[in-house]
Amino acid sequence: MIQMAARVLSHHEMPIESEDDVFLVRRKARTLAEQRGFDPFSMAALTTATSELGRNAFLHAGGGAVILEELQDGDLVGIRLQFRDHGPGIADVERVMQGGYSTLKSLGLGLSGSRRLVNEFHIETAVGQGTLITITKWKRL
Amino acid sequence: MKQQAMVKVRLDEAELQSRRAFFEIRDEDLRRLASLRAFADKYTHEVVEDLYILILGHADSAKLFVDHALVDRVKRAQREYFLGLFSGRCDFAYAEDRLRIGFAHERAGIPPKWYLGAYSRYMRSIFDRLLAELKDVNETRLAYQSAEKLVAFDMALAMDAYIAAQLQTVARHRAAIQELSTPVIRIYERVLLLPLVGTIDTQRAEQLMEAVLGKVVEEQAKVIIIDIAGVAIVDTKVAEHLLKTTEAVRLLGAQTILSGISPTIAKTVVHLGVDTSSMHTRSQLSEGLELAFDLVGREVTPSQGKRGSSGNARVGNAQR
Amino acid sequence: MTPKGSIPVLQVRSTLVVSIQVELRDTIADAFQEDVLQRIAATSAGGLVIDISGLEMVDSYVARVIANTGRMAKLMGTETVLVGMRPEVAATLVRMGFRMEGARTALNLDEGLDLVEDLLRQRRGRERRGQ
Repeated sequence: MIQMAARVLSHHEMPIESEDDVFLVRRKARTLAEQRGFDPFSMAALTTATSELGRNAFLHAGGGAVILEELQDGDLVGIRLQFRDHGPGIADVERVMQGGYSTLKSLGLGLSGSRRLVNEFHIETAVGQGTLITITKWKRL
Repeated sequence: MKQQAMVKVRLDEAELQSRRAFFEIRDEDLRRLASLRAFADKYTHEVVEDLYILILGHADSAKLFVDHALVDRVKRAQREYFLGLFSGRCDFAYAEDRLRIGFAHERAGIPPKWYLGAYSRYMRSIFDRLLAELKDVNETRLAYQSAEKLVAFDMALAMDAYIAAQLQTVARHRAAIQELSTPVIRIYERVLLLPLVGTIDTQRAEQLMEAVLGKVVEEQAKVIIIDIAGVAIVDTKVAEHLLKTTEAVRLLGAQTILSGISPTIAKTVVHLGVDTSSMHTRSQLSEGLELAFDLVGREVTPSQGKRGSSGNARVGNAQR
Repeated sequence: MTPKGSIPVLQVRSTLVVSIQVELRDTIADAFQEDVLQRIAATSAGGLVIDISGLEMVDSYVARVIANTGRMAKLMGTETVLVGMRPEVAATLVRMGFRMEGARTALNLDEGLDLVEDLLRQRRGRERRGQ
């Protein structure tokens, strides 16, 4: 049985350097999901997670960029977003996500909230190296 | 339908090239087959007739081909298929065509064993006639191998189409079952009832919440009664799901009544330390109903003068 | 009518009604909040109904702006009710774990207006009883 990796059907890169950019990224994610026939609940989840992470990148990390991709894996269609920021990085991700830092409350909420809204959530971060967050939302069969 | 076929089987340009490479279909194979076009034209009719002698001669497969008009249509399609092998093409359009055949088979209820057996018959027919026509053993070998590669490529696509169509049927059934297992019923003006039965796993809980929320807005319901008397296990996760649903219903502007709280459930929930202060809860569905009526401004009163009818009630405007 | 004009604030008897039809992005959100509070100051409105039936998405930022506006209005003596939330918005907020603490809600504008009147009546009763 040949194991096939998810195929990338489309690839879009967008900057996140302003509030307007976050809005545009959100709209793009929504449009992609709508075109692929995602149900309203999944669309709202994806758009909201996109908004949270986009806003985080802009507000807490001074900006960055996002790559949006449409994926196909057998019967499944999905949308993947990779948020990369050139910020200071996060020292203790788990603690932040559990609300352990009062000053980073909204960052933590945005991260933990987003994680619950998508099917796949990966975060790579280190102090001084910025952050890369990858989320994937699959369309329900 | 065509576009749909391609997406379902995930066949894009890259995938096509990958398959051609794996099946070792080279340009020279296609050229060789194209050069045998005259041969194909000459023997198409015979080859297809051969195939149908096999199909119609076999009791089980013959059952699928009782209708004469159907047999004629299918033979015509088979002749086109056969000729297609010698078109010299193995491009996107060719693949799309082969996929369509696979979907047609699935729709017609023809199982893989018949058309795989048919492909095998084709190959033997082709071999015999190629040898008779070309006479040279080496040339026959080369021509046969080119045809075999392409037929294998076609079989893979037909199988993919078949599997995709079957998976879609399964998905449709699953969706129907989910809908049936989540009946949100409008039992009175602005009052909904959701009688839960069985086990509530995460997936079902998520789907339940969405069904509830959608129905509340659709019916502009003020109250939804969720009866859990039939739920097998009420643990922390189930309690949390119910709480989430209750909170979401509240955000919409409606209220939730949880009924069917048995002594066991009551003990479990309190021991778990789940905070249910924001919820209306009752042990019996009937109590839940009464509360629901109250919340929509109605009350349940006994009806007058009905003989031998204990427990008859009328629902009317609440005296405020 | 607000100069920036993005979100009109209407008045129904002594209740202000705001229907948010556009995405609440930064400057629009600030203007919205400011406009509402200024109108409350100008009219001493007893109630505020915020209609979000036009919002397809409410993230934590938007939810905070709306919730805060309600709290600010309450401080100024105005009871706030949120109406028309879409199913997918409600589902997303609870899934995220975002709590809209203390926000009163109603299904639609009609019910929202009724609820506001109820809340004001209850409040008057409590205040008279010195609670």
